Amino acid sequence: MDANPIVLDDAAGDVIVVVVEGEHDIYTTPTLRERLDEAIGRGGGIVVDLTGATFVDSSVLGALLDARRRALEAGQGFVVCVGDAAEPGVQRILDITGLVPVLPVISSRDAAVDAARATPNGTGE
Amino acid sequence: MSTAPDVRMTMPARPEGVAVVRQALAGLADALDFDPAVLADMKMAVSEACTNVVVHAYEEVDGMLEVDISASDAGLTIWVRDHGSGIQPQVNRSREVPALGLGLPLIAALSDTFELHGSAGHGTEVRMTFAHARESDPAAENPVTGGLGDDGRWDADPSRGTPTG
Repeated sequence: MDANPIVLDDAAGDVIVVVVEGEHDIYTTPTLRERLDEAIGRGGGIVVDLTGATFVDSSVLGALLDARRRALEAGQGFVVCVGDAAEPGVQRILDITGLVPVLPVISSRDAAVDAARATPNGTGE
Repeated sequence: MSTAPDVRMTMPARPEGVAVVRQALAGLADALDFDPAVLADMKMAVSEACTNVVVHAYEEVDGMLEVDISASDAGLTIWVRDHGSGIQPQVNRSREVPALGLGLPLIAALSDTFELHGSAGHGTEVRMTFAHARESDPAAENPVTGGLGDDGRWDADPSRGTPTG
């Protein structure tokens, strides 16, 4: 069993959720990029759920920012969620890089799905 | 360094080694009863330093990643070292995972002290220290400045803000 799984959840219908769990760095980023590519390829909104992630580094942020850019260029919503109590190894890098409003990052997965469905930039604007 | 480190790791500079270093560091810091917030910062900073070695140090050739850790009453000192192309990291476009360019700004923000040594053709050494107890957040004193450039890499120019569009 993979201790650091990255799986696609399409239960939300027109929004695909990329569920990222465990620790992720330069070693697992190629897999994350593949999953994000697959999610973008489905044509709907994209949510990246980091609720179960315990560590992400700048390699992961790079993959998320690339995916966000491509999703927005294609007119697809892109939102990241971290749950109500994100791990320090996730929240810290998002906070100090100022990327929370950029990606954007919100807590609730349900709210993230709604935001990704509603608007291409996930901000309701 | 005048005395031998408490922990010395030497391994091929490959992506799979970064997690090995991180787990070894976490085990040592747990044994020394570090604050979880400091441990989280240590893991992040060391991961970024090791990632820099993997991505930038050796270009198309194989090389080694070296990590030394020394403990003292004050905290931990960590050295991350390579013997590669030197102190001016360039984007290595041959790698599958392009760099965002955030590594050194993150290390500077997350460590209590940070030094970068090296020269072209003679490798690079990053030295970081982390205190057991902090009176202030180092990221507040050395914030990550800049934002995303048009090329998708981090532009450290503090006059830039991260675009939101």
